[in-house]
Amino acid sequence: MKAPEARTTGLVMALLLASACAWAADPGAPLNLRAADDPEDDRGIVMLVSWDEPEAPPPDDVQLVGYQLMAAPAGESLRLLTNVQLDEGTQSGSNEFRPWPWPGYNVAVAAVYAPEGISFDYLVDEDGNVKDSRATVVMSDTIGPVQPVGLWFDRDRTNILVLVVAICAIVLLTIAAVRGHAEDVYIRPIAGLEAVNDAVGRATEMGKPMVYVSGLSGIGDIATIASMLILGHLSRRAAAYETDIIVPCNDPMVMVAEREIVRQAYSEAGKPDVYRPENIWFVTDSQFGYVAAVDGIMVREQPAACFYMGYFYAEALILAETGNQTGAIQIAGTDADTQLPFFITACDYTLMGEELYAASAYLARQPLLVAQLRGQDIAKVIIAAILIVGVAAATVAALASGVVADLAMRFVEWFAS
Amino acid sequence: MRLQIPLAITFLVGLFMAVQFFVPHEMFHGSLENVLAWVRIVGAFALVLGIGSLLRTHWDKIRRRRRDWPYSIVTILSFLAMCVIGIGFGHEPGTVFYWVFENIQVPLDATMFSLLAFFIASAAFRTFRARSTEATLLLVAAVVVMLGRVPSALIVMFGDTSVGQYLHANMPDVSEWIMNVPTVAGKRGIIFGVALGAIATALRVLLGIERSHLGGGGGGGR
Repeated sequence: MKAPEARTTGLVMALLLASACAWAADPGAPLNLRAADDPEDDRGIVMLVSWDEPEAPPPDDVQLVGYQLMAAPAGESLRLLTNVQLDEGTQSGSNEFRPWPWPGYNVAVAAVYAPEGISFDYLVDEDGNVKDSRATVVMSDTIGPVQPVGLWFDRDRTNILVLVVAICAIVLLTIAAVRGHAEDVYIRPIAGLEAVNDAVGRATEMGKPMVYVSGLSGIGDIATIASMLILGHLSRRAAAYETDIIVPCNDPMVMVAEREIVRQAYSEAGKPDVYRPENIWFVTDSQFGYVAAVDGIMVREQPAACFYMGYFYAEALILAETGNQTGAIQIAGTDADTQLPFFITACDYTLMGEELYAASAYLARQPLLVAQLRGQDIAKVIIAAILIVGVAAATVAALASGVVADLAMRFVEWFAS
Repeated sequence: MRLQIPLAITFLVGLFMAVQFFVPHEMFHGSLENVLAWVRIVGAFALVLGIGSLLRTHWDKIRRRRRDWPYSIVTILSFLAMCVIGIGFGHEPGTVFYWVFENIQVPLDATMFSLLAFFIASAAFRTFRARSTEATLLLVAAVVVMLGRVPSALIVMFGDTSVGQYLHANMPDVSEWIMNVPTVAGKRGIIFGVALGAIATALRVLLGIERSHLGGGGGGGR
């Protein structure tokens, strides 16, 4: 071999050796890291990160087994978000990001190499961190700061927002309009509420207690809140006549609130000494256990009046029928449309749906509350009008064609979406 | 201040809950999760109060020897026994607690639930009497729906005649129509009213127009 050829060959050999040594010390890192907001994520907590595989193949005795997605708010050291197996490809998402106003994130992806025959799962501990000393972790370049985008308004709920704002506006404007002459506003008589006074009077005359059941839903249910408002009025009257009111509760939070309401009512009536906290107690949160207890109370105490106000399930008829058998005057009110027939059947008076919500205003007869009822009725008329227009629009959309049908269909779909 | 502070808290929290429904951003969603966690925490404390009230009520009944006081002993003993069994030996399948729950609590619940069948019969007997036009309509609709659900009864009633066959074939459709058209129309009317009532109630509680739950003479400023 001639001297120049030998030098060239030696140089190539040296380069190959240097390259092999470099691989042995540091296999390839993921390339071209990219991070993008997940368009499906409205909250703004998901980022989709993708990358390219390392270009050069690893040394013979080592293989690429997976990747680690790492990120941290700018200024902090990177931490592991998720591990990506090799067969899962070169992209991953994580829901551990936060949108603005949280700080942006630095993101990197590490390639994990291991001697042949060792799987990725074997290399990591239960937290997902690489624990095996035979593994080689090669970090990509860090990109950032990046962060997902959170939506500040859910456009799919635009129709709900418009209707809620419109109804609130109607109610508030009506209150403003009839403020001075609310006593002239006609309110349709509601027999069930007219009978409340009779029921209290009956209980007083008979010297028997009244039983008040405020449904089986929790304190977060608007029907329970409406029920508690009615209880406030009822207990004020019960206090005035010194009639006992028994309130067995199936939710401890409702019990606490109702105790306070009844105590307050007795104080306002000037009869705090008549208030008996032991008459309002937590029975059980078991549906039928509660029914058994309340039925037992009704059979033993033989109340003069029973009130069922709130949201009820299958227990509605069992309660109402037992009350019916005791001969008590029964007034029910619920927005549970499936239970209304049972109450109508077994009770003397039933407040249907919205009447439950109107009850407090009806009983209080305060000008603002009466005005609000008027506003509610106006909103109802508007909704009825929209329904009629909607039916007409749907008919037009089905029968006609062209621009008119398109507009009609859009109108219907806007409400239906 | 006794009134203003609860009203302010109600307004702010209510406003937040209303706004978060329309804002999916993590700032609101995360806060909602925190609020719901607080509700659970408050609920846990309220449960302690609830159990306290239950025990106090029954203890008082025993102490004063009120009517049916022996049942209160059963209640308290059952409560304590389940506490000891549950806390001491766990409540997973295979434990004594689980056995008691499966073999006492569940059958008792089922027994109460089964009463519904008898109550439905007695309530139906009272209701389905043709005392007025409306009651008659209700009675007819109920009979049609019932026969539509069990059309073989029509064959029993009319025999294997052409009338029986005709009714057997068509009564289910009539029944479905009653359930899907007039019934749903009525239900939707109720649901519209409920939705409006719920919004109006929420509004008046949020704005402090309704204050009867806080005292103050039944609510309603002037």
